[in-house]
Amino acid sequence: MECNALVVNTPAHRPDTRRSKSYGRSCVEPPSLFWQTPGHLTTLGHRIPTSRRAAKSHNITTKVDPEQVALLIKNEWKLSHVTPLYRFRHTQLKLYSKHLAAFIIAEKQQGVAVEVGVEAGFKVTFSAVLGIAETKEDAETVFIQVHSKPLFSADTPKAVWRGWLTCVNGDPEYLRSLPPDFVSLPLFCSSGPEYLTALVKSWFERTFDCSFGSLYLNSTMLNWLAALWTGCHPTSNIRYLKLAWNMPSQPPLDIAYTVNPQDAWELWNSIHTEDSTDDRINIEEVQLFMNGLEIHFFRHFKIYLSAGTLTKVSTALGSAHHDGKIKIGSSDYITTLLTLLTECALMKTPV
Amino acid sequence: MDEQARAILQRVIRKIPNKKLQTALRAWDHLSSEQLESLDYAQPKWLFLENLISRCEENRLSLKDVTKLEMAYYIDNPSKGTWHAYQLFQAEGDAVSVNFTQFREQLKAHLKDVVRHVSVRTKKLEDGAVWIRIAWGDNFSKPNHLKPTYVVHYLQTSYVFVLNLMSKHKPFLYQALLLSTRHVSIKEAQLSSRSLTAMRDLLMRQYQQVFPTNQERTLKERNAPPSHPSIEKEHAECAERRHQMACEAFGDGVLPKLETAVYKLETKYRGNSNNTLNDKDELFRGVVMFSSSNLLESFRHCVSAGMAEGPVTPLLSSITQKGRNSFVITDKVPGAASQTPAHKA
Repeated sequence: MECNALVVNTPAHRPDTRRSKSYGRSCVEPPSLFWQTPGHLTTLGHRIPTSRRAAKSHNITTKVDPEQVALLIKNEWKLSHVTPLYRFRHTQLKLYSKHLAAFIIAEKQQGVAVEVGVEAGFKVTFSAVLGIAETKEDAETVFIQVHSKPLFSADTPKAVWRGWLTCVNGDPEYLRSLPPDFVSLPLFCSSGPEYLTALVKSWFERTFDCSFGSLYLNSTMLNWLAALWTGCHPTSNIRYLKLAWNMPSQPPLDIAYTVNPQDAWELWNSIHTEDSTDDRINIEEVQLFMNGLEIHFFRHFKIYLSAGTLTKVSTALGSAHHDGKIKIGSSDYITTLLTLLTECALMKTPV
Repeated sequence: MDEQARAILQRVIRKIPNKKLQTALRAWDHLSSEQLESLDYAQPKWLFLENLISRCEENRLSLKDVTKLEMAYYIDNPSKGTWHAYQLFQAEGDAVSVNFTQFREQLKAHLKDVVRHVSVRTKKLEDGAVWIRIAWGDNFSKPNHLKPTYVVHYLQTSYVFVLNLMSKHKPFLYQALLLSTRHVSIKEAQLSSRSLTAMRDLLMRQYQQVFPTNQERTLKERNAPPSHPSIEKEHAECAERRHQMACEAFGDGVLPKLETAVYKLETKYRGNSNNTLNDKDELFRGVVMFSSSNLLESFRHCVSAGMAEGPVTPLLSSITQKGRNSFVITDKVPGAASQTPAHKA
């Protein structure tokens, strides 16, 4: 079915009524992931990469303020994908801080939020984390903190919620194809009470006409991470490669296989020999690596790991859970991890 | 009541849910029924505790009385903390005739011999379990009642279950147990779990064991091409065989509620046959941990559902056959402390 790519123009004088949710396409039917349409966006989401660059160690602290990097490494983040933001301006961050704070307070007073605290109010800070974006198409990362203002001004405000929006090595064709008023920061990471996450998302949705969705990490993504991280062992000790499966027995069985890092690397190296000219890794190599581990396991326990689900991969460099939760262990490989996750987010974003 | 007594009372009361407080205190039998009636069980715990302490002080209750309450709590809740199993070997001739009184007196005497300040309390339950509470001191200080060791032993069996034993006290407990049970040696049984009942059931085989049947189930027969045209019947046969193998390895009916099993793998790599790693002599080291709310049931289900291949590998069936849940797997020929992995097909 043909469809015209139509740029939605929102005249400046129109009041803030409900705008159409499209950002570059006007469609007769609601967009569907299974519906192929010609145009710029075909390339997005319908090409699953079969090879990637190997993980490169970056001393990211040369590009990014180390204090800001430290904030990213501390917590476990819950992932969501978000559609492009309409008229988001990096120059308006102070204004957004005030608006979001007011929104949270108002919603709390209305009784929308479930938790009752002794906070006198909230303070929100939006800040730009410069240096995480890699290409010139990537928008700069935005970090948001919600502090609760205590009853007594003597106490320091406590950070109760943190989140950030980022785009690292996003598909350049797609990013260039976006209409000028749209900013794409497709990966949203949040940490803190669920009611605040919901409020922040709600505010974003109202203010920038975007929509959020939970981002889950399927086993392919987890397999990539396992291989990529293992490949980093020579330069950055991964300390362990831990894989967790869940078997659908009754009652369910959890299997955690922690492989010695040097041995894991030997296995990876026997499959993907280090070639300085081409640092690309193929999906077949990743599959051989995971298969190797599964077969070694099978030879001992005679259990088919493929009958279960790979739920978590972790090394000292970070961990990823298929529910869409990640932890960044080391700032060195943050770019690789975020590139993968940005890609994942872009793929899941409704077209 | 001194500081320690108060601290222990506080800890125990905190752990007991409000609904069970009254029954626990009544069973303790150290407060009169009027005193029990006078307490308000719906109060917040810290307030309830204050009132309870004043009643206890009215009766001039001591540390000894409070430890009795703590012991009763652990007996009623044998799934708190991590229990470790030990096995006694080489019973002397008179081991079978050791009765409870003998055991208790000998144990106390031997412990007091080696540790100057030690406090021992024992209790024998109806099912034959002997519970022992040991508060350890040393040559200079009084027993520390805040970190007691609990020991459970079924007389005339060779198993001992221990909770909260510090390594520095191990030799003392070992010696006392060996002398009082009339055995020569004691070893860790490589079995630990939060559930004392599960460990006991597993070791003392108190679950329905299934023994291999007379039915021929030779390799040849299993690999023979199906001769019967009806697929349903074949499928039922396969399912029945899998179920049989599952039960032989793990038991039938209700199984002991074991929760974890740990395997330390120190074997050579056995992955894809094309891989160069297969030729190497180095070990492919790793640790595998299985966990479930009922591990044996999960395994049994995996086998009968086909998620695990039968016949069940000795690595898994050793859990029930040998009564342990901690293993080190090496490539050596089976000895006392190691297991061989399944042969390469």
